[in-house]
Amino acid sequence: MAMSLVNVLRRNFQTFCTFEFRRQSSLYVKTAGNFRLYSSASSQPTQTVDETETGWDDSVRNAKALQHDDYFNIKHLVTIKELFSANVHLGHKSGCRNPFMAPYIYGNRLGLDIIDLEQTKTLLQDALNFTAHIAYRGGIILFISRNRQTLPLVEETARECGEYAHCRYWKGGTFTNVTSQFTRLPELCIFINCLNSVFDTHIAVVDSAKLMIPSVGVVDTNCDPRLISYPVPGNDDTPVAVEYYCRLFKAAIMAGKQKHVEDRHA
Amino acid sequence: MAASMQTFSRVCSTKHPIKELIRWQITKCSALDRHKNGVHTSCRLLADVIPETFEQKTENKAEKISKAMRLYMERAKNYNSMIDKEIDEYEVGKRHLANIMGEDPDSFNQDDIDRAIKYLLPSGLFEKRARPQMKHPYEVFPQRKEALFGKDGRPHHYQFYTGKPNYHGLLHDINMKYEHLNATETELYKNGKMAEEEDKKLFLHGFQWIDHKTLTKQLIEEISPQEYNRFVLVLHRLLKHKLSYKEEEFLLKYSKKVMTMSQFRSIEKPLIDSDGREYSEATGRRKTSNATVTVYNNGSGQISINGQDLAYFKDIHQREQLLFPLQLVNKIDKVDIVATVEGGGSSGQTGAIRLALAHALCSFVDTDSIERLRLAGLLTKDPRTRERKKPGQPGARKKPTWLVFLILMYCQLLVV
Repeated sequence: MAMSLVNVLRRNFQTFCTFEFRRQSSLYVKTAGNFRLYSSASSQPTQTVDETETGWDDSVRNAKALQHDDYFNIKHLVTIKELFSANVHLGHKSGCRNPFMAPYIYGNRLGLDIIDLEQTKTLLQDALNFTAHIAYRGGIILFISRNRQTLPLVEETARECGEYAHCRYWKGGTFTNVTSQFTRLPELCIFINCLNSVFDTHIAVVDSAKLMIPSVGVVDTNCDPRLISYPVPGNDDTPVAVEYYCRLFKAAIMAGKQKHVEDRHA
Repeated sequence: MAASMQTFSRVCSTKHPIKELIRWQITKCSALDRHKNGVHTSCRLLADVIPETFEQKTENKAEKISKAMRLYMERAKNYNSMIDKEIDEYEVGKRHLANIMGEDPDSFNQDDIDRAIKYLLPSGLFEKRARPQMKHPYEVFPQRKEALFGKDGRPHHYQFYTGKPNYHGLLHDINMKYEHLNATETELYKNGKMAEEEDKKLFLHGFQWIDHKTLTKQLIEEISPQEYNRFVLVLHRLLKHKLSYKEEEFLLKYSKKVMTMSQFRSIEKPLIDSDGREYSEATGRRKTSNATVTVYNNGSGQISINGQDLAYFKDIHQREQLLFPLQLVNKIDKVDIVATVEGGGSSGQTGAIRLALAHALCSFVDTDSIERLRLAGLLTKDPRTRERKKPGQPGARKKPTWLVFLILMYCQLLVV
């Protein structure tokens, strides 16, 4: 009895922490009219490089962009039909289910969890919009996945976008070790697969949360969505689905960068 | 919260809404109550969130990046000054050495230096690297990587965050090449043109992949043995692909030629007989059989063994064994063979002819095929012969059977 009580308390505390973290991070991330770019290393909002270098007033532009609901015109890219044909709705067997994924599950068919695509659609749109905003402000975006089958695809996507990929063995302390050579940590981590190769949560999920790096992550029914700023419930094992995600994220990033160039010359 | 919302809407309707808006922030917390009212929105003055004093303490991003850049520049500067100093010392040392040796300092090159050092400082140390040496600083000090990031702190390489961008970039390139070949193969199968590609498969005989050290040097990165193995594995997989000949240039870039043993073997030129036909002769031995084989080039596949054809050997196994070298170099119906063999039994005779045949064939095939013959063990004499019988035992190794009644008989003999 006492044991179960402790467990319940612990779970509640974890949930609380997660929400608290989300609230905290969203304070910084989704700041309307905030000309300060989210800084990963110091977890304090600081000024962007562009502004100091060129003296060009980013603040007005960014405020405008944030006011708009769909500034990059990418929300129409996500349709239920395409999500369905890309097998995004297929989860894992219900035995593998992570309890925190329950709200995103539509039902169970032949022992297989089916993900609610209505929710996936809005969440994916939000995630894409956020990604585009980061790309628009010149943030560094890091694609992360440990699925071997889709590794070349994810890396190629990152390369084509002009962004970064880390789909290889994750050396401990890549983010958290301050003496590492990186001058600038990524501003956004996109997890195409949130698990590492042995069905545990990827260390980068925890590390990016520690460093207040916002994250977008495709969470399957066996993943833990709590530490991810923008969870997108969906199948992360099927190549068709991964191709679909990669296409969308690429489109979002390219749209953000395109808009950046347009606004600059406007 | 509701109060702030009202203020906020008032702000939005002012003269300069955008200027005012900068001071505000909206929090869209979609995680909290998604199921009730869609998206939960709140807003507050920015000044509440980030106190001014707190902000002043933190350095901004541009400063931070320039600091890292400055550190890098400092390191690069130190390295350059160190290398320049070393080069100066090397030049002075070279002139000094030339003067000691009584030679012209201007035309004194690295070979002369090595010679001079060997003469002036003779060393009996076995390990060559432990002996005294004088090399150009560029050879002695490890090469430095160029700056990996731009002025804004954005890395140049897309694999930068893996820590070994060059290595992982290379692996990715190999992977993509493999995927590309796969796609091409599927396309060819669809069009029914794959049959044309069957015999174009790439063989890299006499080549081996570049070694660990060379790869490390090439990529300027520390590479663990496991990572090197991975590299070889991936490269090997690309080579084994049916269409690997399309990537020959790339594969050759990561392989190097090795000296093959057959290169050291002298190959006899084919002789020409009275009819103007090329032929080559060789002898072979196996067990107690001796064989002499004459191979005629440009033949039709006729075989004569002691005047008979292949039927000289009764067993199919032995006939196959005899034809194996021909099969390996694809010459079964392209040469004529005349063999004389004596002594021994059928298996010995086959072996003797096979050895002689393989040696004689070497005159008519290219070095690549010779290497293949050698690797198949066809150019090596089989040294095994019958072992002699030993006295006091029935065979070479066999011992007499140990029985109780034999012992009793010995005992009785002794008593009598």
